[in-house]
Amino acid sequence: MATAPDIREALRQVLDPEIGVNIVDLGLVYRIEVDGARVRIAMTMTSPACPLADYLKDLVTSAIRDRVPDVTEVDIVVEWEPPWDPDMMSDEARRQLGEGER
Amino acid sequence: MGLAPRRLPLLAVGLLSMACGVWLGLARLGWNLPLPWQDQLIAHGPLMVCGFLGTLISLERAVGLGSPWGYAAPILVAAGAVMLDLGPLGSYAPLLITAGSLVMVAIFGVVWRRQASLFIAIMTTGAVAWTAGNVQWLGGAPIFRVVFWWLAFLVLTIAGERLELNRLLRPTPIIRWEFVVAVATVLGGVAAATWWPEPGVRAMGVGLIALTSWLARHDVARRTVRQRGLTRFMAVSLLGGYVWLGVGGAIAVVSGAATPGVLYDALLHAVFVGFVMSMVFAHAPIIFPAVLGVPLPYHQSFYVHVGVLHLSGHPHCRVGEGVGHFGGSLIQLVAHHLGIGGEQGGQFGRGLVKLRADPLLGGLQQRVELNRRGIELPGEILGDGGDLAGD
Repeated sequence: MATAPDIREALRQVLDPEIGVNIVDLGLVYRIEVDGARVRIAMTMTSPACPLADYLKDLVTSAIRDRVPDVTEVDIVVEWEPPWDPDMMSDEARRQLGEGER
Repeated sequence: MGLAPRRLPLLAVGLLSMACGVWLGLARLGWNLPLPWQDQLIAHGPLMVCGFLGTLISLERAVGLGSPWGYAAPILVAAGAVMLDLGPLGSYAPLLITAGSLVMVAIFGVVWRRQASLFIAIMTTGAVAWTAGNVQWLGGAPIFRVVFWWLAFLVLTIAGERLELNRLLRPTPIIRWEFVVAVATVLGGVAAATWWPEPGVRAMGVGLIALTSWLARHDVARRTVRQRGLTRFMAVSLLGGYVWLGVGGAIAVVSGAATPGVLYDALLHAVFVGFVMSMVFAHAPIIFPAVLGVPLPYHQSFYVHVGVLHLSGHPHCRVGEGVGHFGGSLIQLVAHHLGIGGEQGGQFGRGLVKLRADPLLGGLQQRVELNRRGIELPGEILGDGGDLAGD
């Protein structure tokens, strides 16, 4: 049976193409709800003008299908509240971006 | 993605406009290409900026907005672009494109309500600058008055996107202010050029150099260039584009070229081809999948396209041998610094300098040939009223 940590791990395979950091460490994934074989994900984009929502949704769906085959239905909602903020990034994301170097 | 079929015709119009625009551009360079209408050379700039980039950017905004009404922007712009593609320049194309740019401003109104922030304000200002240029174009202003507004549109749109990504690096207030001052100088220069063309263009150039300096120091590409694959490819393309933005700014400062001529051409193409098209190439591998729902897996050969782009930007920047070598050396330098490989970078740079001479000389010979046959060329046409300058 799929669990939220399984899904989270699968989503770590989805990289934001421009930044090269995965969407979990970037803090784009707000919630993961697992109900049997159904998964509901609430996520955001770094910018409300971003045209990549559908593109990332497709990547998310394929990553889950590949890594957690128990899941039969993936429902993804893009939320703008609260807006994404750099504080939502993990230490790992900051390390990858070399934050602090000037 | 069920939306893909709806987006495909719009993207096709954008690409068709690019093809038509490049065709006219080559004809302007002196290539002996057939033209359906003799005065069609005038449409080169409008096709490239509005027909191609305008359609693409407004489509991107409509996709980002996610509401059906947003598609009115790319549909109107694409309709105008089709008229530019298929017929002589009349007033309907400027009218449709102006209406499309107004819808894009409205899209930003909604985006602003989603998240009021500096980068959205910058991108909105870019859309307003496009509209301001389009309104003047519609009113019959010569292209060389309009084109700097169009330049502001593209520069502010891209700058806003880079500022948005810069948040990842948690910029200090000083860094953000530096950005605002650079962008305000670009826009102030463009606005001033309406009344004082030369000083205005020089001021715009100062802003472009300031923005280049900001991007070179603070853009996230400086960090992501250390990643691998697609991310690194995008960063390399972006950083290459910043070099051309700086070249464009320097030409603007030194020459104040506000009316058609060699330096004016060099300035505009350094920015439009070198900077803007680098952005397009950098993002093509994610824009196409995003807009069409078709995957475009990264491959190392993408670098070849960007190399060819810098090569193609080069003949436009024909400010004599000095700048020619300068451009070649800059690319060599960038290639070297980005670790593409010192020797390969060197060969690439030398190749550029060598290759640029041939098409240019060929073009000049053809110009002479065309002149002999009594065919007017853009430079000469500009003499009478000068509204055919633009690109």
